Amino acid sequence: MSPNRTDLILPPGAHYLQGSQACAEGAITAGCRVYAGYPITPATEIMEHAAHRLPQVGGRFIQMEDEIGSASALLGASWAGAKAMTATSSPGFSLMQEVISFAIMTETPLVIVDVQRPGPGQGYITTSQEDVMQARWGHHGEGSIIALSPASVQDMFDFTLEAFNLSERWRTPVLLMAEETVAHMRERLVVPSRDEIQIVNRTRPKDLGIAPESYLPYGHAEVPPMAVWGEGYAVNHVSLVHHTDGNVTRYNSSVHLENVSRIHRKIEDHVDEIARIETRWLEGCRHLLVCYGSVSRTGVEAVLEAREQRNIPLAFIRLKTLWPFPERQLRAIVPEVDTIFVPEMNLGMMKHPITEALRDRCRRVVSIPSLGSLHSPELILDRICEELA
Amino acid sequence: MKKHPMLKYLKEEAPAGPRLPLIMCPGCGAGQVLNYALHAVDTLIREDGLRKEDFVFISGVGCSSRLASHYLNFDSGWTLHGRALAVATGALLANPGLKVIVLTGDGDAAAIGGNHFIHACRRNLNMTILCINNGLYGMTGGQVAPTTPIGRTTTTTPYGNVEEEFDLCRLAQTAGAAYVARWSTAHPHQTIKTIIKGIRKKGTAFVEILSQCPVHLKTAPAEMFRDLKKNTVPLKKAGKSEAKGRIPVGVFCDIDKPDWVTRYQEIIGRLERVESTHE
Amino acid sequence: MNKLHVNPAYCKGCLICVEACPTKAITPCKSINAKGYTLPEEDDMRRCTGCMLCETVCPDFAIAIETDEDQGG
Repeated sequence: MSPNRTDLILPPGAHYLQGSQACAEGAITAGCRVYAGYPITPATEIMEHAAHRLPQVGGRFIQMEDEIGSASALLGASWAGAKAMTATSSPGFSLMQEVISFAIMTETPLVIVDVQRPGPGQGYITTSQEDVMQARWGHHGEGSIIALSPASVQDMFDFTLEAFNLSERWRTPVLLMAEETVAHMRERLVVPSRDEIQIVNRTRPKDLGIAPESYLPYGHAEVPPMAVWGEGYAVNHVSLVHHTDGNVTRYNSSVHLENVSRIHRKIEDHVDEIARIETRWLEGCRHLLVCYGSVSRTGVEAVLEAREQRNIPLAFIRLKTLWPFPERQLRAIVPEVDTIFVPEMNLGMMKHPITEALRDRCRRVVSIPSLGSLHSPELILDRICEELA
Repeated sequence: MKKHPMLKYLKEEAPAGPRLPLIMCPGCGAGQVLNYALHAVDTLIREDGLRKEDFVFISGVGCSSRLASHYLNFDSGWTLHGRALAVATGALLANPGLKVIVLTGDGDAAAIGGNHFIHACRRNLNMTILCINNGLYGMTGGQVAPTTPIGRTTTTTPYGNVEEEFDLCRLAQTAGAAYVARWSTAHPHQTIKTIIKGIRKKGTAFVEILSQCPVHLKTAPAEMFRDLKKNTVPLKKAGKSEAKGRIPVGVFCDIDKPDWVTRYQEIIGRLERVESTHE
Repeated sequence: MNKLHVNPAYCKGCLICVEACPTKAITPCKSINAKGYTLPEEDDMRRCTGCMLCETVCPDFAIAIETDEDQGG
């Protein structure tokens, strides 16, 4: 019904954009054509840019009455065949947790951006990484989730596009755990040429030659093919524990275990395919700095300074994916080290899975917290030197 | 044995086993509303040339919403408590061609879902809302709802309800819905006709159906069915003395105004024309 | 003469059909079935006009009227 103006997506080449804008553009390039949102600092710019651009490319934008409505609208849009997104900040992220839980159980592709700000409560409107645990554990119940951590305007474009691809490939909600820093910064963004951009779309039963009569909405494969409303598959989306055919009243504990375990395994068994990390200077290192998000920017500066000016053999690891946590990947590459430093814009959250993964490879794990503002390279370096003195 | 004519629209047998009978208590009005809705859909398929795949049923959580759990041989979504209207909103933005029927209850729509309810009516999105109003929370055991009459004893108002109830139709009308009506399960033909009209209507159609909960109100279904007929009065007689103590039923409003997607499409069209003049 | 069909797998004995029948052609059964439900049964189907109200108001899709036409008459 609407023209799909793929000719009007952000053209290849260099652009100078705010992270928020890059995020919305990444979504549009990925094929997002429905955005439902609610204003909240510091995420509002993503929504405003989407409001401006979506009708240009033939998509539809709506400002909903609250965050719960926004996230709920994504469910309907996705089931009706659209790629859909919303962006919020930490308080709104809390409100969306029931919908996220529901999306996990119904295996609904959608993307939620959390531009983190400090909490708890209204907290403040500057930057933070205080929701990184909530991303994994904030939804009630079992089930796993994918969460990415962008560190630049380029990442805001690339990772949003990747978030859509991951959500379609794995039939899951995907979280983009941004921060105010990266949403509000302005940098150069380079959009690759059309044929370099990979777009992933959900597998539908008709793609696999499965007829409506034989379709099992939660069956056929580890990642079930997803029927879209309106195509004659009479698909019933349900979040109560279900059989592969969508039956919800023949409950027994083995159906329950199988249903929920599969959803959990769907993500956790494929960490190697999903999670990405960046590593530098692991060869011959004696200490390690692990960071994510915008802290990677100043973190790498601190590591460079430590290596070049203070002769500290410090390696650098950046988690591009927070969840599923790349424990096996880390254990495969991290040698015996003395101290692992984890600078975070919280009082120490990702330090826990990092410690769990590498406890036997190090003497100790040291948190370097900063609340409400980005660590300067000096802050990180001073703390490292203090600890190693 | 001859089967009920509407069974063709339900999933009786499925790989994991039979799905019927409906999980509803004996005599619950929810099944009747489904029956009426399916009669309406059947008419539209025969008369308007609509197809089964054009329809999608979206529900929230509760006895009413259970209708769309796994029984329907249609596309459906059994969603979150109170959020069916928001889900329906998203679906229409993705595919405005879908004939969206929302199955909700009084608690689902007017308590937890109240915010989405008034905004859906205000936006005049092209959907038909069937609100099955039994004046209480049934699934969870009979608690008070925003539609429970003042003074009534429920599990959470053991000494009598101290609150007045919503008039859901007046609420929908004030919020801006284009087509608002109230009937009861004891008005089968009127309900069916109204649902047909609602689906044909461009914009938000809100149909409240007063329904019996025999278990929590501890009254036999046939008696409650009889009482619903007795205790309702046509809207046009609402001001008269015979209407005292009776609930008015009928069509509250029927307005023609553009629906949300139509208005938004004008923007898309306008941008297309601007874009082409720049070529 | 029209025939009444009640599916005992679906009928819950709510008897709304009996209440709705304008000619009282159907009536509650004298005994309860294995599930404890009182199903409707034919009283005098010569009174049945084929209005189908019983089918329309049934909450469980458990009842059907087979008309002369259905029977090939």
